Amino acid sequence: MHGPEIQWYVVLSALLFATGALGVMLRRSPLIILLSVEIMLNAANLLLIAFSRLHGHEDGQIFAISVMAVAASEVVVGLGLIVALGRRNVELDVDKLRTLRG
Amino acid sequence: MRAAAWVCLLLPLASAVAITFAGTKISRRAAGYISTLTTMGSFVAAAVAFFTMLGEDAGARGHVTTSWTWLAAGQYHFGFTLLADQLSVLMMLIVSGVGGLIVAYSVGYMDGEDEERRYFAYMSIFVFSMLLLVESGNLLLLLAGWGMVGLSSYLLIGFHHDRPSAIAAAKKAFVMNAIGDATMALALFLLIQHTGRLDYGGVFAASPHGGAVANLIALGLLGGAVAKSAQIPLHTWLPDAMEGPTPVSALIHAATMVTAGVYLIVRTHPLFENAYVIQDLAAGLGAATLLMAGLIALVQVDIKRVIAYSTMSQIGYMFVGAGLGAYPNAMFHLMTHAFFKALLFLAAGIAIHAVVGEQDIRRLAGIGRLMPFTKLVFLIGSLALVGIPPFAGFFSKDSILAAGLDRGWYGILLTALGLVGAFLTGLYAFRLYFIVFTGEPSAFAREHFHAHHGKEGPLSTRWTVGTLALLSVIGGFLQFAPLWHPLSTWLGPVAEPFAEPTNAQEWAISGAAVAVGLAGIAVAWLFYAAKRAPVPSPVRLFEKKFYWDELYDYLWYYPSDLIARGLYALVEKPLIGGSIAVVTGGASLGARELGRAQTGLVRSYALALAGGLAILTVVFLAAR
Repeated sequence: MHGPEIQWYVVLSALLFATGALGVMLRRSPLIILLSVEIMLNAANLLLIAFSRLHGHEDGQIFAISVMAVAASEVVVGLGLIVALGRRNVELDVDKLRTLRG
Repeated sequence: MRAAAWVCLLLPLASAVAITFAGTKISRRAAGYISTLTTMGSFVAAAVAFFTMLGEDAGARGHVTTSWTWLAAGQYHFGFTLLADQLSVLMMLIVSGVGGLIVAYSVGYMDGEDEERRYFAYMSIFVFSMLLLVESGNLLLLLAGWGMVGLSSYLLIGFHHDRPSAIAAAKKAFVMNAIGDATMALALFLLIQHTGRLDYGGVFAASPHGGAVANLIALGLLGGAVAKSAQIPLHTWLPDAMEGPTPVSALIHAATMVTAGVYLIVRTHPLFENAYVIQDLAAGLGAATLLMAGLIALVQVDIKRVIAYSTMSQIGYMFVGAGLGAYPNAMFHLMTHAFFKALLFLAAGIAIHAVVGEQDIRRLAGIGRLMPFTKLVFLIGSLALVGIPPFAGFFSKDSILAAGLDRGWYGILLTALGLVGAFLTGLYAFRLYFIVFTGEPSAFAREHFHAHHGKEGPLSTRWTVGTLALLSVIGGFLQFAPLWHPLSTWLGPVAEPFAEPTNAQEWAISGAAVAVGLAGIAVAWLFYAAKRAPVPSPVRLFEKKFYWDELYDYLWYYPSDLIARGLYALVEKPLIGGSIAVVTGGASLGARELGRAQTGLVRSYALALAGGLAILTVVFLAAR
């Protein structure tokens, strides 16, 4: 086993995840939120691969690839929605999009 | 013999089934003819049975046929048993004979009504049920027939189902009859408990003599009889039942079904003789009813209701006869009453039809001048009802009254009441006759009279009424107690009477009854025909029918209404309604409050997710 200890990966992943989460919660632009979600997903991927390597199992890596595929699909849908919003001249601000309020 | 009994029973059923399934494939008139022909076919079969029986030995005239085990429960087996004996063959002849005439009359009378096919199917069902009742060989089958005649009565009273009053009357009749059915069923339970069987012979042999059980059994049967025969205290349905078409009133509520109570007492007379208190009670109820109905009939203004009260009164005489043990006399009066009461109803039906359905005698007044034939047959019917010789009622009613003289002070009391009733009969019958059929026609009658078919009704109504008039004249000669009595001899082996007055008593009562009947007619003539004296204003007690309906309202209707309202206010509204209000209110409030959490701000959702995740993490870490 070469490279840094597992703790480093976990800490990095936690930092990445926190960054993404803060981005989702604090930013208003849907585009940035989508990017932050990607960061959170990749934080999870990093953990999956790190533990997969630690335990010598391939399952985690396969899982990471699945997550990437899902993330790609999600980006396609998300970006499509954002483009549709832009085409309709809707202001790109998630705080203004609150017609689903209870 | 057996085949004749079966044919007699099943022909009307076949007719009802055929009319029902043929539906609109046959014309309305064809339905009427099918019903008429099958009922008359039943009469022919009954006559065949009668003549076969006539050729047999007097002791061997009872024929029991069990076709199959109809009902088996544990150790008890009840067969579908038909009994043809002297009593049931007499009833078969009356039911199918008078029934055939009345159904034939209906063909003309119901012409042009809507739903004639339904009417004739119901009539056939009724004739079948009544024949089942009189031909049944055990009490269980009798109860089945008993319930089915109640059902057909209900259906026919409510025939005009678009009239709310007809529906109410039908329901009233059904409910009051159901009370009687229930008491009869209780009596049958007691019989099964104490004898283990329900066939007549076995029950009569094994039922207890005297004591509370015998009294209860007889009381239960009496309950059924008074409900079906409209005697006090279960009589209030019969006047309302006049909502049905007039031939229905004639067949069911005068000639046959309402006399089933008398048949029941005569058929099960050993059970009543085991409980003589109850048998005396039956006679007493009959006497009370005949007086009360006679008094009420004095002030009624609806022609059919007058005849209905007269029916109650005449059945009262039959109950007196059956209660005093003069069974053949009661059955004889049942027979003659079927003739002349059917005649009165059918003649009244012709008069009602001639003035577009009007039944108020003040408006019908004087119509006799326009309808001589109807006037004549109505006069014959009235004379037979009052019991003027040589008409039928004279022979049968007087022999019932004479029987009272053979039964001590109680019998003499009942005879005296019966004589008062005979006076009332003369008064109310001829009040009706003089008002409706004599004098100048009223303005209403003149204006609305239109001769049906150019004459007084179509041919089918005239020949049937004529036949009944003939029977009302000659039917009584079958038996004249002091001189000849073939009917008593015929019924003797089945229903041995224990009240047998001497010839002197018969003659005396006959004379007295005719005298008071004539006195009643004379008083009626004084007031209503000669108008020598002003007509007294009607007594309110009679107009209100002795307040029986009001009494039942106070006894049953208002308390139940009060209880229902109380339960509604105290239980339903607070408990059931309240609990539902709590559930719905809570759901609504919760939804409104939870809805606030749904801000529409994606960021707050994300924060909630992250917060939830953080809490879960802390929990899992702490739990480890």
